[in-house]
Amino acid sequence: MIDIKLWDLLLGFSILVIPVLIFRYYKVTLNGDLIISVLRMIVQLFLVAVYLEWIFEKNNAWINTAWVLIMVMVGGATVVKRVGISWKQFLLPFIIAGLISMTIIDGFFLGLVIKSGYFFDARYFVPISGMVLGNSLNHNIVGLTAFFKGLHKDRELYYFLLTNSGSSRLALRPFIQDALIKGLNPLLATMSVIGLISLPGMMTGQILGGASPAVAIKYQVMIMLAIFVGCTLTLVLSILFSKRMAFDEMGNVRGES
Amino acid sequence: MISFDNVTLKYSTGTIFENLSFSVQAGSKVCITGHSGTGKSSVLKIIQGYVKPHSGSVQVGGMKLGRDTVKDIRSQIAYVPQNINLPVSNGDELTRMLNVSSKRRDVELLMGQLGLEKEMFVRPFDEMSGGQKQRVVIAVCLSLDRDIVLLDEPTSSLDDDAILKLLKVVSGLKDKTVISSSHHHEWGAAMEQEVRLGVQG
Repeated sequence: MIDIKLWDLLLGFSILVIPVLIFRYYKVTLNGDLIISVLRMIVQLFLVAVYLEWIFEKNNAWINTAWVLIMVMVGGATVVKRVGISWKQFLLPFIIAGLISMTIIDGFFLGLVIKSGYFFDARYFVPISGMVLGNSLNHNIVGLTAFFKGLHKDRELYYFLLTNSGSSRLALRPFIQDALIKGLNPLLATMSVIGLISLPGMMTGQILGGASPAVAIKYQVMIMLAIFVGCTLTLVLSILFSKRMAFDEMGNVRGES
Repeated sequence: MISFDNVTLKYSTGTIFENLSFSVQAGSKVCITGHSGTGKSSVLKIIQGYVKPHSGSVQVGGMKLGRDTVKDIRSQIAYVPQNINLPVSNGDELTRMLNVSSKRRDVELLMGQLGLEKEMFVRPFDEMSGGQKQRVVIAVCLSLDRDIVLLDEPTSSLDDDAILKLLKVVSGLKDKTVISSSHHHEWGAAMEQEVRLGVQG
């Protein structure tokens, strides 16, 4: 594979001037976040490269599991920060939702579908968990933002449904429906055009790495299913686990007098 | 019976009302009147436990409103809010959303009494006037057959003829306690009891 030289890498970064100018023109306060995100990406990927070499060499179940746990916790923290809700109340429910979702997805795809022999094999366990978590993160943020904003904006609807149906399950249903639609629609759109207007990174990477396209495609299909189910599970569980925190002891939406 | 005992409501913007006391006998038809911002809708929300007063106590159906009783209290109430953004497109879907699709006949009967044709039960809300949609929602809520009916500004989108029909339906709810909020004088005058907000003394 062709290596990218340092000067060429710097040239690659220069293209960021386009979003920076767009943000400045429209007075969107994202430039600070952009710089922090890019710097974090560089440092994290560098550390991961070093760490992955070590992790692949050791290939130890405890180390690999610890790495996935750290990813789940960082994912939960990122969701809380991006959705703009209380750390104290929502971090734990989101982490638990991520852990349950990962256990089910990894158990199914690694244990039953791929059957790698060694369940915690770093070559499968770490990257597949990472891809599912990374994608769940974005869609979880969109879905949970829709859920919490909806509850505040349309609290009259919630109260109407809660009194007249007598069921918090029925009262929450339209808000959960909205969160699922908004959170998962982009992923459905991605799946429907994959290969046509987007070439998935994992498949491309496998082919570039010398794997047969047939095997790469099979893995890509499986990973897309894992991502979709993982996103759905994480989003629903995050809502269900954080439900108690979103309402006070009278069952009212918090943040009201 | 519903009673407010020295209830004071304060929002971050200021005091809405202070030491409000009134009681409503079971089966009574009551109207909460007052200018905008005097807390008419808030009284209906306090009864359901959705707004917590700063002080005072509220009793509904022999129970003191609190976290242990709020569920039981809400189960006695049918609530029609003033403006609501419904995520359903017609009355049929609304009954399904509330898990009361078996009440279709009752809803259609009530719709008839409110001056609406049966077929409007399935007509899209988008193709109705505000008053028609409001009457469909009222019919669905009344079909729940709860002991207490709370109507927030039920006349806001209705013409005179529709108001008269609604009055007749409400007056016919003999064993139900109906508390409405309204700044419509004729509506207030037609109720058995009036609770005026924004008036000293």
